[in-house]
Amino acid sequence: MSTTTETESTPTGAADGRPRSGGRPGRRSGTGERKPGARDLAHALPWIAPALILIAGVVFFPAGVMFFNSTRDISISGVDKGGVGFDNYVEVFQFPYFWPILGRTIVWVVVVVAITVVLSLILAQILDKAFPGRRIVRLVVIIPWAASVVMTTMVVYYGLEPYFGIINTFLVDIGLVDTPEGYGWTRNPATAFAWSIVVAIFVSLPFTTYTILAGLQTVPGDVLEAAKMDGAGPVRTYFGVVLPQLRSALAVAVLINIINVFNSLPILRVMTGSIPGYDADTIMTMIFKYMQNQHKIDVASALSVVAFAIVIVIVAVYVRVVKPMKEV
Amino acid sequence: MKKSMRFGAAIALAATASLTLASCGFGGSSGGGESGGDGTTLDLLVPSYSDNTQALWEDVVDGFESENPDITVNLEVQSWDNLESVIATKIQGDEAPDIYNGGPFAGFAADELLYPVEDVVSADTLSDFQESFLANAEVDGTAYALPFIASGRALFVNNALLEQAGVAAPPTTWDELLDAATKVSALGGGIAGYGMPLGSEEAQAEAAVWLWGGGGTFGDESAITVDDPSNLPGAEQIKAMIDAGATQADPGSTDRSPLMDIFIQGQIGMQVGLPPTVGQIEEGNPDLDYSIVPIPTQDGSPFTLGVMDQLMAFQNDGDKQEAITAFFDYFYSSDVYVPWVQAEGFLPVTKSGAEALGGEEALAPFLDVLPDAQFYPSTNPQWSAADSAFKALFGQIQTKPAQDVLTEIQAQVDAS
Repeated sequence: MSTTTETESTPTGAADGRPRSGGRPGRRSGTGERKPGARDLAHALPWIAPALILIAGVVFFPAGVMFFNSTRDISISGVDKGGVGFDNYVEVFQFPYFWPILGRTIVWVVVVVAITVVLSLILAQILDKAFPGRRIVRLVVIIPWAASVVMTTMVVYYGLEPYFGIINTFLVDIGLVDTPEGYGWTRNPATAFAWSIVVAIFVSLPFTTYTILAGLQTVPGDVLEAAKMDGAGPVRTYFGVVLPQLRSALAVAVLINIINVFNSLPILRVMTGSIPGYDADTIMTMIFKYMQNQHKIDVASALSVVAFAIVIVIVAVYVRVVKPMKEV
Repeated sequence: MKKSMRFGAAIALAATASLTLASCGFGGSSGGGESGGDGTTLDLLVPSYSDNTQALWEDVVDGFESENPDITVNLEVQSWDNLESVIATKIQGDEAPDIYNGGPFAGFAADELLYPVEDVVSADTLSDFQESFLANAEVDGTAYALPFIASGRALFVNNALLEQAGVAAPPTTWDELLDAATKVSALGGGIAGYGMPLGSEEAQAEAAVWLWGGGGTFGDESAITVDDPSNLPGAEQIKAMIDAGATQADPGSTDRSPLMDIFIQGQIGMQVGLPPTVGQIEEGNPDLDYSIVPIPTQDGSPFTLGVMDQLMAFQNDGDKQEAITAFFDYFYSSDVYVPWVQAEGFLPVTKSGAEALGGEEALAPFLDVLPDAQFYPSTNPQWSAADSAFKALFGQIQTKPAQDVLTEIQAQVDAS
């Protein structure tokens, strides 16, 4: 049964004007044929110069300042007291909670991205089917993305508050929590961290789902039809035909999510902000604590540089191992 | 295509309009168009104490500018959460405000950024400050900040809950407090005996209430002494309260403001509060049957945690000293200062102010305890490191041994 709906739905997707098989060879010929020389570069410079200036201004300059600050001794009130070499990095690595924090950061990224991608694959598959009201459902899926992350997190945070949070009250009412004021979900490192993961997945879903949905709509209908003719069942078709075609969409979704989730501050900041000690911190909240609580701009910069390096390494390993940009 | 262009034009128009309006707004607040003259401009950076703060300061600025037409004051109001990062950013960018209202100032004084107060207020104004407050702003015998407002702490007691639990009188010692709070907690139904906020919002205050109440100290202007045997009885008493179930659940990560709301709702027997709490109760739950009593201590001796915020003047170009002096003299004159303090619900730091507000009934319990006030060692440049270490670490006392927590805080202070 489901195969018939599938074949029905894909032509609709393709008929929306999505590029079919013709789009791909065109793209390939554009990149491979001719290497632009220095002359071409000089000709192109006036056109790309604004973009280069912009990139230098908004990417390289702040990164440079961050690195510069990480090698200075900056007083509590923000006065630069001179260079100290790599002392700030030593302080970062000697901090007794650094390695647990790094481990937690990795758990945070892996769990959030993995669950988000799996859920998004399912959601995108559903949204790709033709059913009455599909446009409205697609719109609804976007809403968590349209609301600010802090707002969404605040709603969950207050819902979890003992005494007056509705989630807590609900859990008390159905008998899952036996203290009348509710359980302090956001007051204990482990539960606060777990709830943060839930929120992070929730706010990551829209982007990931739409990226995968866009990928799904580029799967040509005739390929699915051919698979059906060859007698492949829905599961076989999905894993043998559809999923490989989603490779580039998934690659984009995973990469952007890794960077985004790694750098995510607001969710953890709100959910775990009042917890004492460092048992629910990731690298990002630790940077924030150095900056906001201890006013150590210099050490915060050093940790930022470390975080920057970690993201680059993760992305490099991912690109190298998964080869996401390789064509199917 | 045409449609999108029209849309673009609309956005451009809206942007221009809002920019123009915004610049009008700035023109208005700085009080008039004759800014081209050779007048002095003072930048004033203040935190927001309540929703009234901005309007109160605008009144002060308007009054000052009409008396001193050649001086323009630029007012900037920030939230407490942002204040310290805003001032740090401004200093780093060489744009420190001329006058700044904040808490810790010893770091600025150590970096030689501030005027000694003698240079920026007249002798008359200086002599009007309560000596103990002024002394608390001194580094090596020189005061670098002017006391601005003060507040003391006292114990807010929910009379109805105590009566229900069979407690005859509000507690005055730790033993009585533990006993009373345990009885109130035993009422059940989500009611907590003692509200103990050790979360990051203001852990240092609750810590001070207990540690100092047992004879402890956080140190003085030369040394921060958190890991000190005199602090241990208070820390152990906190653990005793938690272990006896006399507090709300998870005190280690409960913030003060939300917990105070729960007290106001009538779910907590006792909690330490501030003068503005009186106004909050009036607004949130005027029917609450409560009383304000001194904070219980180990042996029942009177004590309160005094908190004082300061006004300080940054030495920017050095040519604004006279204007700053004029501003401070105007602000601290009792016609201007007293209404300001009164509207915000704090305690005055000037003698004339204390006289004017002496009859205020709501402030009476706090004015009573103020002579026994102890302050944070805020003249020590390391105090702000200690402050943040308390906020970040002290709540762990819920699960870790008291001594370990004190040691860890001291270690973080020493490392800064």
